[in-house]
Amino acid sequence: MAGPSSPLTTHVLNTAMGVPGSNMAVSLYRQDPSTAVWNLITTGTTNEDGRCPGLITRNMFTSGMYKMHFETAQYWESMGETCFYPYVEIVFTINDPSQKFHIPLILSRFSYSTYRGS
Amino acid sequence: MAEVESSPLTTHVLNSADGVPAARMALSLHRLDSNLLLWNLLTTGTTNEDGRCPGLISRAAFTPGMYKLRFETGQYWDILGQTSFYPYVEVVFSITDPDQRFHLPLLLSRFSYTTYRGC
Repeated sequence: MAGPSSPLTTHVLNTAMGVPGSNMAVSLYRQDPSTAVWNLITTGTTNEDGRCPGLITRNMFTSGMYKMHFETAQYWESMGETCFYPYVEIVFTINDPSQKFHIPLILSRFSYSTYRGS
Repeated sequence: MAEVESSPLTTHVLNSADGVPAARMALSLHRLDSNLLLWNLLTTGTTNEDGRCPGLISRAAFTPGMYKLRFETGQYWDILGQTSFYPYVEVVFSITDPDQRFHLPLLLSRFSYTTYRGC
């Protein structure tokens, strides 16, 4: 099925178990610059590969402050384990929305990492 | 000098891009009021030359609950004359056993960061 891919992508990796972080609830927000309110853009669930296609369209991807929210404790609880982090939020600034931005989350029960990829 | 009990919660911010401690970074500690679903500010501070911020919380105040450490990373890189991808970093964590020690480092560059639960 054709369709332009999202300029913003994510990838959740469960490094404790060496698997993609699949079936994790994620959501994307943009901050309204005048009110500082976070507006929900998309909710989704990571697929078997830990990815969540279709986060945002090129048209909607304007400059601004964004936040990716990952339901990490819910993810670990569904596997019968606790997690130190009830959720992870990664807040980032987009100045040039013509680029591609990849926001991975590398996660265990007691640590996480992220970086700006492309 | 009398003994001062050290905070059961500590942090250490490292600038992994430059290989130095992240000194003079503003940070704050908050606890979630679970009834009102509001974050209560407990402490504000600034990292010292070694990237640490002693005295975050006392043993007595360190009760079970959801906490948030907020690091003013954007401001930090700004002062160094650089841009960064993250305007701030908030690490939200659950404390179920406050008798333990919790060390929450932040390893930071302009385009990445890592945190983990240490002790």
